[in-house]
Amino acid sequence: MTTTTTTLKLNLGPQHPSTHGVLRLLLELDGEKILSCEPDIGYLHRGMEKMAEKMSYIQYLPTVDRIDYLAGFFYSELLCRIVEKALEVEIPQKVRAIRVMLLELNRISSHLLWIGMFLMDLGATSPFFYTFREREMILRYFEKISGQRMMYNYFVFGGVRRDIDYLEDVDEILSILPSKLKDYENLIEKNPIFIRRVVNKGILEKETALNYSITGVNLRSSGADFDTRFQDSLYSGFDIGKVILKEKNSMARYRARILEIKESMKIVRQALDYLKKAPALEQKLINPVNMKLPEGDYFADIEAPRGIASCFVRSYGEKEPYRLKWRTGSYYSVNLLRKLLVGEYLNDAIAIAGSLDIILPEVDK
Amino acid sequence: MDWNKFSEVFANCELRGSKILIKSRLHDVIKFVTDNYPYDILKEIIAIHNRDGMVELVYNLYSTVDEESLLISVCVKDEAESIVDIFKSAEADENEIYDLFGIKFKGHDNLKRLYMPECWDGHPLRKDYVQDDTRLCWNDDNNDNA
Repeated sequence: MTTTTTTLKLNLGPQHPSTHGVLRLLLELDGEKILSCEPDIGYLHRGMEKMAEKMSYIQYLPTVDRIDYLAGFFYSELLCRIVEKALEVEIPQKVRAIRVMLLELNRISSHLLWIGMFLMDLGATSPFFYTFREREMILRYFEKISGQRMMYNYFVFGGVRRDIDYLEDVDEILSILPSKLKDYENLIEKNPIFIRRVVNKGILEKETALNYSITGVNLRSSGADFDTRFQDSLYSGFDIGKVILKEKNSMARYRARILEIKESMKIVRQALDYLKKAPALEQKLINPVNMKLPEGDYFADIEAPRGIASCFVRSYGEKEPYRLKWRTGSYYSVNLLRKLLVGEYLNDAIAIAGSLDIILPEVDK
Repeated sequence: MDWNKFSEVFANCELRGSKILIKSRLHDVIKFVTDNYPYDILKEIIAIHNRDGMVELVYNLYSTVDEESLLISVCVKDEAESIVDIFKSAEADENEIYDLFGIKFKGHDNLKRLYMPECWDGHPLRKDYVQDDTRLCWNDDNNDNA
């Protein structure tokens, strides 16, 4: 009697709790070993680029927070930057400090959520509640200044919607966070189950990462020294620390995010010290009614929590952009799963995919 | 950057602003540029359906060493050369452009509908895309219910 072996096709998602939104991975398995992975995206597609072609810039501005609901400030900043660049408007020093402070707080809140979700993916439920408790402080602060917890719509063309306030809340966040980060490290990093599931798993070589257009924390935890904040004029004058790790595995990606929170806190502190002494806000906002961008192509990019985010606009001098394109970090991370999951075991698939910090609204746009 | 060295190598290219415009041999140009200069990352491919009916593809190459961008632009009608063998990330970009602009990439063997359903008619980011209600039907059986 002859026996034949066949491979098994397995659907991971779209309703799996660890897929962070709606991502379907079509896996081909031999036993428990993954032979191939085919990501299927588009469940959350809202047509952000098509929508832009029918809307004026100010109508479009409130929608861009939804591209990445965990880091909305970054996308508002990009659209504002495009308009400011096109109309050659210089933003005042105080607006710059406000934006840097809010962007970095947003990065901290995004990384905190990731730590909780990643540990949840690995089966540990309590860190999720701890990181959400700290993230809540930041969201409460955002709510106080912008009226919204996640879709802020606070940056406007040429400045911010209103002057910054409640700076003592930021002081409190900065004083509480370091001890909490220490708690996470004690709770998580010495846990043998956690260590066995992340060390030597999901090895991402620097060359592979660059070839797959991976940027941000994922690239820096593979040993590359590449952070666009250093050339960003918004951040000029701020002292930014470098976080570069050489281990290339899931553990490095976790460590890099913890370290990046610490570095972000230092940047927030610098901005906060400036804002405490700064005079009342004086800004000249761009009148968005009938605003038209001069003919031309405009590019803007920023170091978002999930890699470089960028925006491209081609304008023909009309009220609406002729074409608007977003580049988001997660889109390329999903593509990387085709390579990274091959040869791994099924039970590691979730841990590896989770370590890349993929957010699906950003992928589907 | 000395832009002239590119035009010496490729007689058919033109420099406009910070962008190199090429008419053909896209794959060769990108291969040459990445082999000879430290452009190690393909940030994105931007597609624009121009007013003349052609689709412009802008390849945004970036060097993490020099921290410099290089834009290479080519206009195509409905078919283009794939650069998946040079940059793996192009697989994702080209698939998106196929879905939204209908450009077929020679050498990319996994082109499929990405955001739109398999049965969707047309490519929504083209300027000649017709929006009517019949296209909002989600499967073939319903397509007759205009």
